[in-house]
Amino acid sequence: MVHAEPAAAAAAVARVVDLALAWESPGGLRPLSGVSDALRGDEAAGVSGLRPMSPEPPDPEDVAARLEALSPAARALLAHVDDHGGEGTTGSARRTVSPADAATPVEELIAHRLLLPRDGGTLVLPGEVGLALRGGRTTRTPRDEVPEVATTDRDVALVARSAAGEAFEVVRRVELVLDHWGLEPPGVLRGGGLSVRDLKATARDLQVDEAGAGLLVEVASVAGLLTEGVDEDGEAVWLPTDAFDAWSAGSVAERWAALALAWLDTTRVASLISTRDPAGRAWNALAPDLSSQMAPEARRLALEELAALPAGAALATGTGIPSMVERVAWRRPRRPSVHRDLVAAAVSEAAVLGLTGAGALSEAGRAVLAGDHDAAVAAITPHLPHPVDHVLLQADLTAVAPGPLEAELARTLHLVADVESRGGATVYRFTPGSVRRAFDAGWTALEVHDFVGSVSRTPVPQPLSYLVDDVSRTFGTVRVGQAESFLRADDESALTELLHHPRAGSLNLRRIAPTVLISTVSVDVLLPRLRELGAAPVVEAPDGTVRVARRDLLRARRPRSGRSRAAALARTHAGVAAVVTAIRSGDRAVASRPETPTVTTTPTSALAALREAIEAGSTVVIGYVDNHGARSDRVVDPVRLEGGTLTAHDHRADDVRAFAVHRITSVAPLPARP
Amino acid sequence: MNDGPLIVQSDKTLLLEIDHERAADCRKAIAPFAELERSPEHVHTYRLTPLGLWNARAAGHDAEQVVDALLSYSRYAVPHALLVDVAETMARYGRLRLEKHPMHGLVLSSNDRPVLEEVLRAKKIAGMLGERLDDDSVAVHPSERGNLKQALLKLGWPAEDFAGYVDGEAHAIALDEDGWELRTYQREAAESFWHGGSGVVVLPCGAGKTIVGAAAMAQAQATTLILVTNTVSARQWKDELIKRTSLTADEIGEYSGSVKEVRPVTIATYQVLTTRRKGVYTHLELLDARDWGLIVYDEVHLLPAPIFRMTANLQARRRIGLTATLVREDGREGEVFSLIGPKRYDAPWKDIEAQGWIAPADCVEVRVTLPEGQRLAYATAEPEERYRLASCTHKKIDVVRQLVEQHSTQPTLVIGQYIDQLDELAAMLDAPVIKGETPVKERQRLFEAFRSGEISLLVVSKVANFSIDLPSAEVAIQVSGSFGSRQEEAQRLGRLLRPKAEGKTAHFYTIVSRDTVDAEFAQNRQRFLAEQGYAYRIIDSDDLEADPAS
Repeated sequence: MVHAEPAAAAAAVARVVDLALAWESPGGLRPLSGVSDALRGDEAAGVSGLRPMSPEPPDPEDVAARLEALSPAARALLAHVDDHGGEGTTGSARRTVSPADAATPVEELIAHRLLLPRDGGTLVLPGEVGLALRGGRTTRTPRDEVPEVATTDRDVALVARSAAGEAFEVVRRVELVLDHWGLEPPGVLRGGGLSVRDLKATARDLQVDEAGAGLLVEVASVAGLLTEGVDEDGEAVWLPTDAFDAWSAGSVAERWAALALAWLDTTRVASLISTRDPAGRAWNALAPDLSSQMAPEARRLALEELAALPAGAALATGTGIPSMVERVAWRRPRRPSVHRDLVAAAVSEAAVLGLTGAGALSEAGRAVLAGDHDAAVAAITPHLPHPVDHVLLQADLTAVAPGPLEAELARTLHLVADVESRGGATVYRFTPGSVRRAFDAGWTALEVHDFVGSVSRTPVPQPLSYLVDDVSRTFGTVRVGQAESFLRADDESALTELLHHPRAGSLNLRRIAPTVLISTVSVDVLLPRLRELGAAPVVEAPDGTVRVARRDLLRARRPRSGRSRAAALARTHAGVAAVVTAIRSGDRAVASRPETPTVTTTPTSALAALREAIEAGSTVVIGYVDNHGARSDRVVDPVRLEGGTLTAHDHRADDVRAFAVHRITSVAPLPARP
Repeated sequence: MNDGPLIVQSDKTLLLEIDHERAADCRKAIAPFAELERSPEHVHTYRLTPLGLWNARAAGHDAEQVVDALLSYSRYAVPHALLVDVAETMARYGRLRLEKHPMHGLVLSSNDRPVLEEVLRAKKIAGMLGERLDDDSVAVHPSERGNLKQALLKLGWPAEDFAGYVDGEAHAIALDEDGWELRTYQREAAESFWHGGSGVVVLPCGAGKTIVGAAAMAQAQATTLILVTNTVSARQWKDELIKRTSLTADEIGEYSGSVKEVRPVTIATYQVLTTRRKGVYTHLELLDARDWGLIVYDEVHLLPAPIFRMTANLQARRRIGLTATLVREDGREGEVFSLIGPKRYDAPWKDIEAQGWIAPADCVEVRVTLPEGQRLAYATAEPEERYRLASCTHKKIDVVRQLVEQHSTQPTLVIGQYIDQLDELAAMLDAPVIKGETPVKERQRLFEAFRSGEISLLVVSKVANFSIDLPSAEVAIQVSGSFGSRQEEAQRLGRLLRPKAEGKTAHFYTIVSRDTVDAEFAQNRQRFLAEQGYAYRIIDSDDLEADPAS
């Protein structure tokens, strides 16, 4: 029944039985009760097009005969329904018609019971009709033909070479970005992850696109080289881990293998970075929820397919990846559609990471897939550029390292020269600034000369020697240090005497010129000690004039006298006046309450009354509910009414206050004062 | 790993190790599409630029060839992204075409409609285009041809120009190869110019750029306008053309401040073309005076800004630019390329030296120490005065005298920037001085006397920087210059590079005050030459007598 070679179908059925997913019952094969439920799960993923049979399936020949009798329009419609999952809807067709008076193709089909009406205008194609329509098969197209992967021929050596080239680039870039982040770490977003701006800057530095930069930082992170940390200011930042130092000390091959193995099993989905999620937000690199449990499986499936290609065959440019996706989808038909994207991403990521080269899995890539770290290292090593231990120095003050430098040498060269261009080779430029940097790090001119002489395979050009000498001549001509105080004397012997005085040790005196000593203790301490030692020093002011030191006479501050009586009296009066005002306005409010029949209570009338009062400039009593729900009466002169707020002069507070209009419960005119 | 001479960097530079046995083949393979950036002694740096790749496309190379050249000579794996980029960049060329339409004149057309739409929406382009003719083509104002090409280049969609060039008024010109012949590189340069249509030829000083110009004229067989820097140089062009071609003195006109002749071949100075009276360029009609078939720009790196704009209107005519040093301190090299045309030919100086066409040169930087008193004056001087103070120190005069004595038998030039310094030197050395105020007649007399060997020592100001042909000069002593100008340094060295009898080496001395801005500027000045492979030796003025080379 399955559209496949009978032998293949039989083998598949046997396997299903072996796996105990189906059992042989008297009425034929029956699937285990759970299996069909599990299979039914996702309508969209259903590929077989099989619909449930009618309870009492008619004879297949009968169905065939009924199909024969159909008009072409009805037949076409039926085929269409079958192609689209075996279900259709109709609004107008009558449910019960006889073949004779069927007006439309739909009604004709219903009449022949080729489509069964269900609730809500849904029409269902019964399984047996579908089978008959497809010539007794479950599907129209054969299902046992494995989709072929589109391939082209590639030289195995070229594959290894270009894969190694990419591998080298990946290692170099990861090192570069982490080195940089060790100095200037990017911040962690509040929701985790790396900001788009930082990703862009990184992409620019690395000369890759943003997706490429995203993949690199993700891989660095899953390899344990990068994690969240805290900078000096206590901000959360992305920092290289201590594992990064161990990693950078390894050979390029080892470093690559570590990255590739980490990538293989991660659930992170770097391919989504800088795309948008269904809600329209862009995915950030390193964001916590950027992962999928399906990713490792999809990745392995894709790589296994690549590994299964014969030697010398590689994915065809353009059509290779889609055909690979089809093939994996055939092998795992019931995966959701996102699985396809993951497979495609896995293939392109493998290319970026150097597991594949020119579309084929390299030998080292196979070793990674097998999880064999040592084999991967051994396989890729011969194809990587050999580390070189020398540079070519040129008279334009550049040095070219014609390959990756040994790590130690690279670090040293980094100190004395600036990098101008990176890649397989590195171009360094010597500048006065870079040479000075080496001196700052404690090198001597001789050491710099020796170093450039020893790493250069060509004679050291004279301009470079002169550059070093020129810098060294000016280096350190001005010395800077710290001292708390200085001693100056025209009489050198007086200073010498002080310097060698047995009790002057604690003063930390140091001679910086024949007539100048400096000390690390402050003048306040120094002065009495010098006097004790029998010297008669004079203190110099910052402008060089002599400051005559006279002991300051000590004085206390005059105690503050109490406040004047008048002031206290005034305060009391003011207090009394305020209390009286408040009482009076309270009185007026109370006074107005009983006699005012015209208390306004509806919001509209309250507003009208307030506006009236504003225009008339009159005083009103309002009932007001405060924040705590307490109601009070206030005597106010309304000033302004806008935005739901009444601005008014409150008599009790004797100040302008704002009242929320919705809290004003009543407005009443102030009764004339009795 | 492949044992190739080339290293392809991911920043699109190509490093060529020249001591490698396949280096020469590799250079030939990458020269059509990569631009030579530096050529010091061991590793030459080329750069892949969109312009270079498009020029390669224009010259008939395709992306396949470029990728193949990179892959087959590269020592390490070539970054994949770079290969993709090369292919994509080259595919952008030719999507737009400039064509002649029998009815509408000049037309911009494309069979890739989205590209055309994108370009038409660009603001900068809008004013240059006429009406839309149909879905795939749009009319172009003929006078905007140059501007349009330039603007399209900036948009990243270079147009392939099928509109061709105006043939101009025919005029028979032939090379008169009597007792000499065109050198290989001169022929290559002239040919690659001709195939390219328009463009710049870069050859070292003394390598015979005039001959390349003459060869281009012989190819064009048409009336020619030659633009040069000054009158003396104009006369030299005239003499050279009479000597090397079938042209006679009557056919060549000079158009300068003093003489205004328009003949089939006219040599004009940049200065006269850019002279303005009451805001009007009075001599611009020269450009339309004849139907020129070829325009030659000598020393194109000096092309003044107004000429930039005029050139934009001359797009229909063939143009050749000649220069030794396409570095402009104002950074406008790009404009030269886009207005005159891309670089059509470039040869490393050291290569031509190795072939014996220019003299080898020994470049020496002599360092003097400022005397104590002057150091103090220098230290307290205003920044703008410092260079003058440092470069005019009296210590230099002693050194010059010493050097002149050492080379007393050889024709020597002393070159400087500051007139009073030069006057002082001239008085001290008892030598004639040529400066801005020296009349042209007097200049020519002195140059002639120097050429004939009558006098062997000349003190010159910057008037002699360019285009002054003094083939006999063997020694140049530079005492001061226009600050850090790399181009001036190269041009001054260029005065010495005419091949000498018995392959003698020329000597180029630069006298520099140690630990001052003078030394800093000197370093910048030397950079271009160092990148061309001229290694400077540095010696102290006190060690001068022990110097073995002198």
